[in-house]
Amino acid sequence: MWDLFISIFVNVLIWIYDVVGNNFGLAIILFTILIRIVTWPLNAQQMKGAAAMQALQTDKDWQAIQKKYAKDKEKLAQEQMRVYKEKGINPFGSCLPTLIQFPIIIALYQSIIRALASTPLDLLKLSRSISLPNVSDLIPLNSKFLWMDLGRPESVVIFGLAIPTLALIVAITTYIQAKLTMPASTTPGDQSAAMSGMMSIYMPLLLGYFALTFASGLSVYFITSNILGIVQYAMQGKANWRNLIPGVLKKK
Amino acid sequence: MRKKFVFVITILLGAVLLSACAGGPVHGSTWPGLAADGNTVYLADGSIYAINLSDGRQVWRYPGSTKLVFYSPPAITPDGLVIVGSAGTDHSLIALNPNDINPETNAPVEAWKFTGAGDHWVAAPLVLDNKLFAANSDGNLYILDLQDGQSVKDATVVELGGRLWAKPTTDGERVYVTSLDHSVVAVDANTYDILWQKDLGGAVPGSAVLSEDGMLYVGSLASQLEKFDPATGNHQSVLDAENWVWSTPALDGDTLYFGDVDGNFYAFNTLTGKLNGKPVKPDGPITASPLVKEDHILLATESGSVFAVGRDGKVLWSEEIGGKIYTTPVTASDLIIIAPLETDFYLAALDANGRQVWTFTPEN
Repeated sequence: MWDLFISIFVNVLIWIYDVVGNNFGLAIILFTILIRIVTWPLNAQQMKGAAAMQALQTDKDWQAIQKKYAKDKEKLAQEQMRVYKEKGINPFGSCLPTLIQFPIIIALYQSIIRALASTPLDLLKLSRSISLPNVSDLIPLNSKFLWMDLGRPESVVIFGLAIPTLALIVAITTYIQAKLTMPASTTPGDQSAAMSGMMSIYMPLLLGYFALTFASGLSVYFITSNILGIVQYAMQGKANWRNLIPGVLKKK
Repeated sequence: MRKKFVFVITILLGAVLLSACAGGPVHGSTWPGLAADGNTVYLADGSIYAINLSDGRQVWRYPGSTKLVFYSPPAITPDGLVIVGSAGTDHSLIALNPNDINPETNAPVEAWKFTGAGDHWVAAPLVLDNKLFAANSDGNLYILDLQDGQSVKDATVVELGGRLWAKPTTDGERVYVTSLDHSVVAVDANTYDILWQKDLGGAVPGSAVLSEDGMLYVGSLASQLEKFDPATGNHQSVLDAENWVWSTPALDGDTLYFGDVDGNFYAFNTLTGKLNGKPVKPDGPITASPLVKEDHILLATESGSVFAVGRDGKVLWSEEIGGKIYTTPVTASDLIIIAPLETDFYLAALDANGRQVWTFTPEN
C-alpha cells in the first residue's frame, strides 16, 4: 500500500519533470502546489478549527466550567467535550493538517530519493515504480537545480565555511508561517495559544534539521509549502503580521 | 494536554520515520561488489571483506564508516593491490595492500589513496598496463599511474558526462566507457583523447564487450543490444529486448549471453546477427552478467536462484540461494561465489554442480 503511494508520487513527479523540460526542482515546486491544492480544504478546516477554539476561550460557559471543575480533571474533560459537541467544534480539527503533512513529507522524501536513484538498486526500483510510457529516454533524472543537487543535503561554501542556506530558509519560512497563523491570546493560561507558541519554536527547528540532514529536494518542498501557506493565510485575511514584531504578543 | 501529547508524538514519529529512510548506507543498501583472485574472494558490502576461498572464513576486513562505504567491485592489480572506491560522502579510491596487515586492526594498510573524484564510485576501475582507468559517478574518467603511488594525486581527468557506473572496457588501443547519460565513449588509451561519443537513447549501466570479430556490443535501458564499429563509433541496434538490458553481455565464442529485467535470457549469435533460439525465461529479473563455464552458462536471478543453462538452452541444474541476486557471480578455485541481498549470509559458495559448500557471514 505504502509502495503504491510512493509510486503515485514518483509518476506524478516524473510526468511534471517531463512536461517542464527535465527540471526536477521545478517539478517539486509544481508538485508542492498540487499537494497544497489537494489539501486546501484541510488547511481551511484547520484555520476554522483554530478560530473556533480561540473564540471558545472568551465564551462565558467555557470559562465557567474551567473555574467550576478546576480541581476535577475528569469532570472538566467531560464538560469540555459537551461544549465541543454543542458548538460543533472538533478539538483535533486544527491538528489534522499537521498530521497529514508527515506521511506526505515521508512519501515525498522517499519519492525524491527513488526518482533520483543514486545507486543501482534505487534505479532498478525506479523502473518498477514507473507506469508512464517511454520514460527510458528521461532516465536518469537530472538532479541539478540552480546550485543544488536535489538528491543531497545542500550547503554553500562562503569564505571556507559550508553554510546550509536552504536549512536556514526552511527554518525562517516555517517560523514566519507559524507566527502569522498564531492567534492573539486574550486569556491567561490559554492552552491553544501555548500550543501555537510551542509549534512556532519546535517546527522551524525540526524542519530546519530535516533540511540540514536530508536531500535538498525536500527543502524545496518545505520552502514552497511554507510560502504557499503564508500566501493562503494572507489571501484569507487571517495572517497576523503584528506577530512578526518581537514583543507584540507579550504586551497583549 | 492531550493535543500537546499527540503533537509531540507525531513529530517524534515523523522524525524517526524520516531518519530511518535516510540511514547511512549499510549491507543491503545496494548490491555488493565481488572479485576474486587465486585464493581469496573480495566482497564490497559496506566494508571490504577478504574471504578464504577454501573454507569461507574471513581473512581480514577493511571497515566502512558513515563516510567510507564500499559497494563497487574491487579491482586487483598485477602486484596484488586491491583497489576499492567509496560510495559514501568520502569519495576516495583506495589501494589496499593485502600483504601488509595492521596487526592491531587486522585490516590491510592503505598503499595509496586518491581523493580527487567528485562523486561516489559504482564502477570497478580498469587496470591496463601500469595505468588505472577509473570511471566515477561525477562523469569523469580518472587515469592514474600505478607505477608510482605518489603520482595518483595528479590524475589525468577526461570529462565524459553523466554518471559512469560500469567498468571501462579496452582493446589495448582504446578504452570504451558507458554512461547513464545514454552515451558510449571511446577514449584513446595513450593520449586520452575522446575519439567518438554516441548516444543510445537510453542509459547504459553495464559495460561494453568486445566480440571475437572486434566489434563492440552494448546493452541499454532503451532495451536494445547495440553493435559498434570500435574504430569509428558507427553503430546499429541488432536486437530489441523485452525490457531494460542491465547486465554486461558475456562472450562465448560467437555467442553473446545476456539478460533483461523482465527475466529473459538471450543467446545472440554475432555471426548471424540472430538469436540462437527462443529466449529462456528462468524465474526472475536478471541484472547480473552471465558466467561462461566449460559446459554451461551460469546465470543468477533477482528471485535468488542460480541456473546452469546448456548451450542448447536447456536448464541443467538450478539452486535456490534465497534473497535477491543482482551481483554478477565470480568463479575461483572451482567454486561459484554468489553475493545475495536480503539473506542472513553475505556470500554463498557453490561447487560445479550447484551444491552449497560454504556461506559467509561477517565476524563481529
